[in-house]
Amino acid sequence: MSVRSAQADLGVALPVPAARQRGFVERHRSRIRAVGSILVVFVLWELVGRFVVTNRLFFVPLSSVFEAGTSLWARGQLQLHLWTSSLEFVIGFGAAAVTGIALGAAMAVRRPLRDYLDPWVAFLYATPTVALAPLFILWFKLGIESKVAVIWLVAIFPILLNTLTGIEATDPDLIEAARSFGARPLQIFRKVMLPSALPFIVTGVRLGLARGLVGVVVAEFFGSKAGLGYLILFAAGTFDMATLFVGVLILALAGVISTEALKALEVRLAPWRSLRAAR
Amino acid sequence: MAQPAGRAVSAKLEIRRVSKWFETGDGKVVEALRDVSLDVDEGEFVSIVGASGCGKTTLLRILDGLIAPSGGEIRLDGRPIAGPGRDRALVFQLDALFPWRTVTDNVLFGLEVQGRVDDEARRRAAELIRFVGLAGFERSYPHQLSGGMRQRVNLARALAVDPEVLLMDEPFASLDAQTREIMQAELLRIWNASRKTVVFITHQIDEAIYLSDRVVVLTSRPGRLGEVLTVDLPRPRGLEIKRTAEFGELVGRVWRRIESEVRESVGVPA
Repeated sequence: MSVRSAQADLGVALPVPAARQRGFVERHRSRIRAVGSILVVFVLWELVGRFVVTNRLFFVPLSSVFEAGTSLWARGQLQLHLWTSSLEFVIGFGAAAVTGIALGAAMAVRRPLRDYLDPWVAFLYATPTVALAPLFILWFKLGIESKVAVIWLVAIFPILLNTLTGIEATDPDLIEAARSFGARPLQIFRKVMLPSALPFIVTGVRLGLARGLVGVVVAEFFGSKAGLGYLILFAAGTFDMATLFVGVLILALAGVISTEALKALEVRLAPWRSLRAAR
Repeated sequence: MAQPAGRAVSAKLEIRRVSKWFETGDGKVVEALRDVSLDVDEGEFVSIVGASGCGKTTLLRILDGLIAPSGGEIRLDGRPIAGPGRDRALVFQLDALFPWRTVTDNVLFGLEVQGRVDDEARRRAAELIRFVGLAGFERSYPHQLSGGMRQRVNLARALAVDPEVLLMDEPFASLDAQTREIMQAELLRIWNASRKTVVFITHQIDEAIYLSDRVVVLTSRPGRLGEVLTVDLPRPRGLEIKRTAEFGELVGRVWRRIESEVRESVGVPA
């Protein structure tokens, strides 16, 4: 089963003999099971919240979470939190993607730069950089700057390292072929190294994105006036379980959607690779 | 002797006393080629055969300009070469095709880096793809093609820049025996039509003789020029020529020349 799901993950369509074309249920069996699993847990959540753990200080049924969400939306508060967190994330993560790809690429093609930066990248990548969040709040105050800085710092390393690895992993035969046609170094970079590294870069972006989402919440925990992290922290402080789960569920949804979208992009960008993996 | 006797004064490609040595990591020097001199005429098909590790590929990389010789020089139409140029194209041993490019875009690669892509180039690329027998596969990616088809794309990519000299580094080595035979005949068909000057490297004696006007034996460690054999079998040559007595005779001559080295390299004395 794990092989099948790994193939489904890669989006590989395995050839099906024409003689036994399968029906809708058979073709989408894995997906149907996944959706079924989610539905069962949601129903269990509702039942446990209503009949098992009835103390609303510890747990609430799913329906209460939806009620809290719609009520927050009606009062215009959810929009504020969503907007605040999104803005922080887009700026911080966008900066991490741009600087991560640029620095990773520069380190791959310029040996001295790599030698200078390597120890710092290794040091900061190994450090749980969210631990620096309180320091950033002190430096940049409670505004958006401190959150952007935290998100940037936690998200940049997987992007940088994957870009670096991807460019270094370029097949030397392909570089040689390009040189043989008289390609100049910049052309080799643009037409050979970059396309070859692209799937790696997307993987780095996907990993950085997941870390960036953690960064938003943690940065907001340490000092903020709005945002999903603020919403969660405030709800926990007032024992408002329903509102707390609103924040958590929105973050989970954002994480799942963006990760799946990037996984799909990885397969589209390098179909030759997933085909090899499936063989 | 720098000038091989009995050849035309101004050949297409002149290889003059080319030597190459490499420094290994521990400071030792390995001599790959010593004093190799050879002239190749315009439109001629010359094969270089030798045991593995005799420096064949090194010589071809020097001819392409990917590496510089340690001594001697190469002249093309009388001009010394320094680095890769438009007048030569290399067909690689492994199919070094770009996996993210379609057949058409792979074929256009050389023209693209040379800034020569226009409607005329695209038309020519389409024509070349038909010429190597890949019509209908223009939009396929390399991973969707068989080994023989990929090697045809490789050939079309080299031909697309319209080089004067085609350098081929064991292009069929990774193909199975049957595909290889077909590809040899295909190469002759293409060469007959385009009449490029070809320097072809292989370790397969029958392949060299079947394809070439002349076969050059390169001896090992260091690579030095051995016998140069003129193949005067009639052209065009069909695959059935391989089963004639003259063909067998020629194979035998080349084999005797390199047998001792091959035996030495695999540790089987005569």
